[in-house]
Amino acid sequence: MAATDRIIVLPGDTIDPAVIPTPRRNAIRLGPGLRHVQATNSIVPTVAGQLITDHGKGSMWVESSTGHYIPAISDLVIGQITRSQGDYYLVNLSPYTPNATLPHLSFEAATKKTRPQLNPGALVYARVTLANRHMDPELECVSQTTGKGDGLGPLTGGMVFDVSLGMARRLLLSKPREYGGVAVLELLADEGLAFETAVGRNGKVWVGSDKSEANTRMVIAVGRALRETDERGLDVEAQKKLVRRIMKELSR
Amino acid sequence: MPREAEPSLNERQFVLQALRENLRLDGRPFDKYRPVELIFGEQYGVVEVSFGKTKILAKTSAELTVPYVDRPLDGIFTIATELSPMTAPSFEVNRPTETEVLLSRLLEKTVRRSGALDTESLCLVAGQKCWSVRVDVHVLSHDGDLTDAACLAVVAALRHFRKPDTSIEGGLLTVYTPAEREPVPLSWLHSPFCVTWSFYGDQGEMALLDATLSEEHVRVGSCTISMNRHGEICQIAKLGGTPVDAVALLQCTNVALVKVKDFSAFLDRKLAEDAKRRDKGGLMAELSAENDR
Repeated sequence: MAATDRIIVLPGDTIDPAVIPTPRRNAIRLGPGLRHVQATNSIVPTVAGQLITDHGKGSMWVESSTGHYIPAISDLVIGQITRSQGDYYLVNLSPYTPNATLPHLSFEAATKKTRPQLNPGALVYARVTLANRHMDPELECVSQTTGKGDGLGPLTGGMVFDVSLGMARRLLLSKPREYGGVAVLELLADEGLAFETAVGRNGKVWVGSDKSEANTRMVIAVGRALRETDERGLDVEAQKKLVRRIMKELSR
Repeated sequence: MPREAEPSLNERQFVLQALRENLRLDGRPFDKYRPVELIFGEQYGVVEVSFGKTKILAKTSAELTVPYVDRPLDGIFTIATELSPMTAPSFEVNRPTETEVLLSRLLEKTVRRSGALDTESLCLVAGQKCWSVRVDVHVLSHDGDLTDAACLAVVAALRHFRKPDTSIEGGLLTVYTPAEREPVPLSWLHSPFCVTWSFYGDQGEMALLDATLSEEHVRVGSCTISMNRHGEICQIAKLGGTPVDAVALLQCTNVALVKVKDFSAFLDRKLAEDAKRRDKGGLMAELSAENDR
């Protein structure tokens, strides 16, 4: 992510044309928090936050700190199955919001007979494919182009921890330590803990590990490390200290 | 009405598995409360209590009214509990949920029916004038164990509250403003506290204190014990759920007594701190028109 200087925008601000990327081949891509106004042919922010521009990909968007998750296309999310209806599962992305739909057949290698049977309350790791305003979002657990799951699909075992949306975004960056300042998972893995995680953009982190003794303790420790980093806003140095403390507690 | 958000299957299984291994998600032992915080407001009778992420605001107020016809010698004392949509969208105004009904019922039984507040002292002129004391309980955030937190908040708010001083001379009732006479505390007889146990396992063999919301979702039963620091039990409520072994329940009451003593000492300390903070220049003793009993 080629972030330039920090530009903070408010809804309705005019954006300096110098910072707008000008891709040579295709049109510029607008992410969440920006809108193209056709009457004046200008780009206007709709939320307050930090304007991020990526000249390489020709895209720009606004990062804002909100408490409520609003689905956006190609976000990775962790959803909870509410029920099955017709050819779809109804999936809850955050409490007290309308359900998203997940077709029965959009799982890896799913046919009418082999599709996964998910009970209400089961968790899935999915990608958002449709996110229009005033419409229920749609999800998929398989890549439309390759037909592979790419790690998406039902999540079995493990535990989900709630984190802030900002923390989830930082964890999902390509290099969380360098760009997001989150090194806690990396540090825990360096200490020899074997666990797997799935980060949902809707503020949920799933932590799992193989079925063996002492893994419950470890999953709890990972979850506590994540939440403490998030709630107390720890920097990398403080995260190192936290990890050392947690490892000491675990070895006891 | 939106339904309450339920935890996923993975969360349910994990919490139970962790409990079987003697672990809680926040790393507490089974019989330990979350850090308890208590902040008194600027006004008398306003208190904010938090148990971890559970947060309760209680406000006491008093007004002059006419006593009930059938109880001419008693003042009026009410506790109003409110779970607003701010707590969670599943709570609606004017449509009490089961949680809300049970909470207000337990507070009523613990504080009002145990005679913690001497209602006779609220009566000013028999059958004509009395104080009506009202405590409003607002749940600001719900992360489990509302009963214990709300009970602590109510007791703290009532003990912190001061009502305007009054006098009767020749049948004439005078109510003094705080500028004329220092307001007086309520006539308080004993301080009951609630301790809630949550039970887990097929026979309810695991007992947890101060369960968080995710732990409350997977429990098989719960039991609220109210008592004061002298060990006098005001009420025990075990509303349905899996039957629990009598000896285990006895053990629970013993631990509850220890916790109640902790609460009592904690509240006394906080009240003393607040009194010291308000007593600027040490003039409070001279301002007070109250007699030492």
